Amino acid sequence: MLGQLDSADGAVVADFEAGLGTVIRMGDRPVDVVVLVTEPTVKSLEVASRAADLVRDHKLGRLVVTANRVRDDADVTRVQAAFPDVDVVMVPDEPAIVAAERRGEAPLDAAPDSPGVRALVGLADRLLPN
Amino acid sequence: MPAVPIAAPTIEPGLQPGPDSGLRSAEPSYGGPVRVAFVGKGGAGKSSIAGVFARLLARDGAQVLALDSDPMPGLAYSLGVPNRETGIPAEAVEEYEDDSGRRRHRLRAGLDAGAAIELYSTVSPDGVRLLQLGKTRGVKGENSLSHQGYQAILDALQKQRSAEPDSTGSLADWAVVGDLPGGTRQPFFGWGRFARTILVVVEPTPASLLSGRRLARLAEKASAPHVVAIANKTREEADADLVQARTGLQVIGEVPFDPAQREADRRGVALLDLDSDSPMVAAVTRLVSTLSAKEPVR
Repeated sequence: MLGQLDSADGAVVADFEAGLGTVIRMGDRPVDVVVLVTEPTVKSLEVASRAADLVRDHKLGRLVVTANRVRDDADVTRVQAAFPDVDVVMVPDEPAIVAAERRGEAPLDAAPDSPGVRALVGLADRLLPN
Repeated sequence: MPAVPIAAPTIEPGLQPGPDSGLRSAEPSYGGPVRVAFVGKGGAGKSSIAGVFARLLARDGAQVLALDSDPMPGLAYSLGVPNRETGIPAEAVEEYEDDSGRRRHRLRAGLDAGAAIELYSTVSPDGVRLLQLGKTRGVKGENSLSHQGYQAILDALQKQRSAEPDSTGSLADWAVVGDLPGGTRQPFFGWGRFARTILVVVEPTPASLLSGRRLARLAEKASAPHVVAIANKTREEADADLVQARTGLQVIGEVPFDPAQREADRRGVALLDLDSDSPMVAAVTRLVSTLSAKEPVR
């Protein structure tokens, strides 16, 4: 089904399962953009680095890295150290998003003006073709 | 942060837990070392709890094997293991033809599962042995021989799983703590087959609750052994009850949201090494006691 979603008119946004399994199985069916979501933890950054290598090595698509739940400058530094050559989209740690998640609400509906959601809107803008 | 009320999650038609689902009444009927598999939605906290659980079990005197079935590093961090690149080497595995002529794999001649564990596991703090599936290396799965070796050890543990408490053999004394990849695909179709108890880690969020319910339903279909839930990252008194009501699983442990765990994640260290008095450690200590009582540590 995913292989038949090639459309010039619409956009397809797929939320893959955690880890690298799906990325690995994409094989020779690349997408336009792979958005790699990481957190400023040692483990998450290591996983993301491995995923980024796979995306680049197999030319799966344009790589965009997003760091979620960024709390402070130390977090920013940690993320930038892991991706020195990438302009990472930083999404701040956002109580409004956590609260929306617990209520089962979309963050865009629950807190459209929060810094976290504004960062995600910026991410969406970056994904659009130039 | 302030308490946030939780909306009733949307449950798929047919997924409402029934009072006679049988899931809550399933209990292990045998003794022997604790053998558990942690499953759940990605990010639910499986690895974090499993690492603390394994080390506390070892401190209680058990001989503990920790299994990381995820090709991404996870359990190694929560155990406090510096070496995260280990796995079973390809030379430990050989190919053979079965009676029907099919090509299969097994541990090489002269290497049984117990010896493979001794050879290829990493010694972790508190003496826990960590065996890792091994790093995923690429699209073509160049590490498949390593994965076959890992599967051979799971096979051996599965055969030994239902043994009586007085059974002998090199695997009989191992307590096993497995950390399975997130999601619903793997837990009940092979990777958790060593376990006597499946522990579904569930956060009190709608998405995690729904994943928990799906896992419960899969467990029911797969006739899995004892399947129970752990309510993780709870913030309110009613959270554990919510997990039980929405998943249909008995909640045997509640782990509160713990800022110390978050800090351990940020630093890449084991929670037990950062703050052994944290609320999460206290909760997992109770969990070890609960499960040890059901599956006595010898």
